[in-house]
Parts: sequence; structure tokens; C-alpha cells
Amino acid sequence: MQFGVFTVGDVTTDPTTGRTPTEAERIKAMVTIAQKAEEVGLDVFATGEHHNPPFVPSSPTTMLGYVAARTERLILSTSTTLITTNDPVKIAEDFAMLQHLADGRVDLMMGRGNTGPVYPWFGKDITKGIELAVENYDLLRRLWREDVVDWKGRFRTPLRGFTSTPRPLDGVPPFVWHGSIRSPEIAEQAAYYGDGFFANHIFWPREHFRRLIELYRTRFEHYGHGSADQAVVGLGGQVFLHRNSQEAVRRFRPYFDNAPVYGHGPSLEDFTEMTPLTVGSPAEAIDKTMGFREYFGDYQRQLFLVDHAGLPLKTVLEQLDLLGEEVVPTLRKEFDALRPAHVPEAPTHRSLVAAARAAGEARAAIEVPVAEPDAVVAR
Amino acid sequence: MTARRIAVVSGGLGQPSGSRLLADRLAGATRDHLLERGVDAAVDVVELRELARDLADHLVTGFPSPALAAALRTVADADGLIAVSPVFSASYSGLFKTFFDVLDRDALTDLPTLVAATGGSARHSLVTEHALRPLLTYLKAVVVPTAVFAATDDFGADDADVALGSRIERAARQLAELVSAGSRTVPDDPFDAPVDFERLLGRLG
Repeated sequence: MQFGVFTVGDVTTDPTTGRTPTEAERIKAMVTIAQKAEEVGLDVFATGEHHNPPFVPSSPTTMLGYVAARTERLILSTSTTLITTNDPVKIAEDFAMLQHLADGRVDLMMGRGNTGPVYPWFGKDITKGIELAVENYDLLRRLWREDVVDWKGRFRTPLRGFTSTPRPLDGVPPFVWHGSIRSPEIAEQAAYYGDGFFANHIFWPREHFRRLIELYRTRFEHYGHGSADQAVVGLGGQVFLHRNSQEAVRRFRPYFDNAPVYGHGPSLEDFTEMTPLTVGSPAEAIDKTMGFREYFGDYQRQLFLVDHAGLPLKTVLEQLDLLGEEVVPTLRKEFDALRPAHVPEAPTHRSLVAAARAAGEARAAIEVPVAEPDAVVAR
Repeated sequence: MTARRIAVVSGGLGQPSGSRLLADRLAGATRDHLLERGVDAAVDVVELRELARDLADHLVTGFPSPALAAALRTVADADGLIAVSPVFSASYSGLFKTFFDVLDRDALTDLPTLVAATGGSARHSLVTEHALRPLLTYLKAVVVPTAVFAATDDFGADDADVALGSRIERAARQLAELVSAGSRTVPDDPFDAPVDFERLLGRLG
């Protein structure tokens, strides 16, 4: 089981002090948060991609490349990479480059974005969102898997004899998750390719996401990638922790009430009831997260949102201490103990390389005559 | 006897409201006309006043509370709809509009619908034609030709009530005819019948 944090990268005024961080402060804070995530024993740091204020992370691989140089173990990911408006050729290049710099500690999550004008700003038609995601991703896969690509599609200029460089590290493309909060087509896409499916269910009730995840699991099995419970599922989560539960509520309430995404709407209590948000003690966060497993089945990746709505960096780092020291170790133990042997961990670069080698050996074993078994061993 | 469900959406704010009084008369008359056609109709009333906060929260968060989700489902799953709003500032009320703003885009497709409104005076009576009917038509509902407007006076004067009564009867009969025909087909749920990915890829052509 992988645990990590994902950040939206919003520059938001702290409602308790009226102070707004500069872009530079926010960007450096995101890096500090990533380093802290590794320090407290988390596995993943993922950044969003946005192209409008008040968000800063327009260039995720630049940020993740910098984080890669300052970390040793942390998997660097996105939440999400816009497969609709980015050129798939540039995604293939940027993330292969990042793979090399980070020694393979890279995966990424495809998404369609949630800001309408980004489509026209990048010369795309929002009514073609699903088609763009389908065509662009299919091309992206080919660019990583075929050394020379001839390609023609609807949404970008054709490619003749094109080689995306650098080639993926060890010949193995990064693992891909597909994020969706709404569209059954994206669950279908993730299932078709045997990729991961990430349900960022932090703002919405869980019933909706159960249907999406069930669809993904069923179709994953349908397309022959394994049984439904072997499908690779990631979930969002949102916590604000304090050892004293009431103190957590008291401290988080002003941030909740003014949060750009859901502030000025339902009460913190109602929202906590309806969504995965936990505002309380580490024990409460553990209970709620274990509940995700009961509701959605064994899953592979849990990302928490901890740094939005104007929370100051110092507070976020305290949150990470609590998460790393008092929440994740218990969750890790419990999840690992409960997960059946046939349910896999989330793929990593190392496991994908091993799988590719094993597949290569299996192919070689079939091709090599029985009389020369040494040739197989030599590989 | 065939069974059908009629959903009533009442945007009135008083307790009881003029909109609810009118809605109940329309629902009763529609039930009677359906009974004559051998159809037993159950009526589910959605009082928007009770959902006012939930509707505002939905605008902010993008998802419905359990109570609002149930109300939205009631309307989407109905065989007929009676939608009644009070007139506020020359149109339907904001609360009434908000409910239709948060409905799924295709929730009302082909749904037989009767629109009605209440107001302080008969000067507002065309609100059904310039506000409610276009809204429901935009949402692909099938709106019956007779819309019903009731001014406060209509609930008092004898002769006025005769006129209102005959409009209610005509509108209810028109709605009952469409509901008993029951031609509405609910679109496939994409979660139950997923589109095969090869087809999504193939569509790109």
C-alpha cells in the first residue's frame, strides 16, 4: 500500500491572518512539503497542473525534477496531468526525462482538468474532452512503447518516423493512473489498458465513487488484466489532524468555512459526514481511511490533501508529522494484514522492469529450442 | 390497473403556500383524469422550501445532500411532472430555478410536464409562457399546451374560481393523456451499460 500527499498548488489567503503567500513562497512550500513527505515516511508526492491563478503548478515536471534531486525514495506523481490540452508528444518526452533524472521514481495521473477556458487557451474544444483524452492517451502509449511512430489522428499534426526522446528508462514507461470524478468513459479507459484508476472522492459523496470504481474493476476483469479485485485503485482523502479532536475542529473551521472549493456552503460537520474529510484525531483518520477499504475493496494508493485553503506551511508540516508518525504506520500495517495475497501492490518502476524481464524471458523460453536451456538462464 | 408516478415540484415559501395549494389541485385533477383512463397514479411532492439550504450547498460543492439527491431522483424517475413556482420579480423564483439548475442534464427528457405559477395579481399571468415553458422545454420536457396561472384573487371570487377550475381541468386532462400513454423512455445508465472502449477508440476514425 502506498501513502502520500497530493497538492492543488493554490495560492490562498490565510483566513485567520489575512496573509497571502507570494507565488515564490507557495512554490517553495510545495517543495518543502514533498521533502517532508519523504522524511516522515510517506511514499508519494503528487502535484496538480493548472494554468490560471490562483494556482501555481503549471509546469509539473520542472517541479518534480527539482524534488527528485532533493529526495531519495519518494515516488513523484501528478494529480493530474492534462491529457486533453497538453500535446501527448510533450508529455511523453517530459515524463521520460523525469524518469531518467529520478531513477524511475515517477508515475503520473491523467485527467481532463476542471477549468473550462483551459481548452480554448490551448486551442482545444471542450466538447471534445473525452475524445481528446482517448486519442491523446493512445498516442502517448505508442510514443513510449514504439521506437519509431507513424501516426495520424484528429487532434494534432501527423507524425512520420518520429522517435520520442529520451526513451523510457529501462525501456519501461511510467505507470499511469487515470483520474476521474464523473466519467464512466475514463474508468473504461483505465480498465481497457490495465492502468490504475484514481478516484479523487474528497469533495463528493462516496456512493457516486463506488459506482465508478466498481465499473473500473468489472471492466478491468472483462479486458483480461486479472480479477476485479486485482485492479489498481487509488483514492483521495483529506485530513486535518490534532491529538485532541475538538482542537482539530476549532483550528480547521476557519479554513474550511472559507475554502475556495467548498467554503460558504455546508457546515464542517455535514461535509465530514458526507465526504471523506476527517477533521479530528489520528485515530479518527485511521478509522475513516480503513472505512474506505471496506467500502471500495482493497486498494493500492491513498493520497491525502493537506495543504490547501490558505493553511500556513508550518501547520502543513505539523500535519505531515502527525500523518507520518501516528496515522500511516498503523494504516500500513492494517492494510497489509488485511490484503489477500493475490491482490497486488501498486506497480513501481522496479516491479514493472521485473515484470518486463519476466515477460521477455517467458517469450525467449518459448522461442528458444529445448536443446539450449542455458540461453534462457544466461538472460 | 397501470401504475404511474407523478412528481410535484412546488417552489412556494409560505406554509401553506399558494403554489402548493395550486399544485395539490393540479395533482388531484391529474389523478382523477388518470383514474378514468385506468391508471393509478401515486403523487410525490417535492417542497423546495425544505431543500433551500441543500440547494445552495449544491451550488457551492457540486454534489447533492442525501435529501436533495432523493428529491432529484423523484423527479427524474417520474412519469409526469407538475412544476409550480411563485412569481418573484417578473419570473420564477430563484429557488425554483436552482432546483432545475442542479438536475442532471437529461433528467427531464421526454417527461410529460405541466407548468403553473402563482402571483399577487393577474398581471403576471404570462410568466408561464415567457419563463417556465422555455425553461422546461430547454430541459427537453414535453410541456402540455395549457399552463395554469393563479392570482391571489382566484382563490376567492366565485366566478374567478370557475375560470381557474376549468383551466386546471384542461391542463390536468392534457397531462393525464401523455402520462397514460407512457411513451417516455429513460436513457441507458452508462454505469450499467458501459460503452466498449474499442468503440470509443474507433469513433475517432
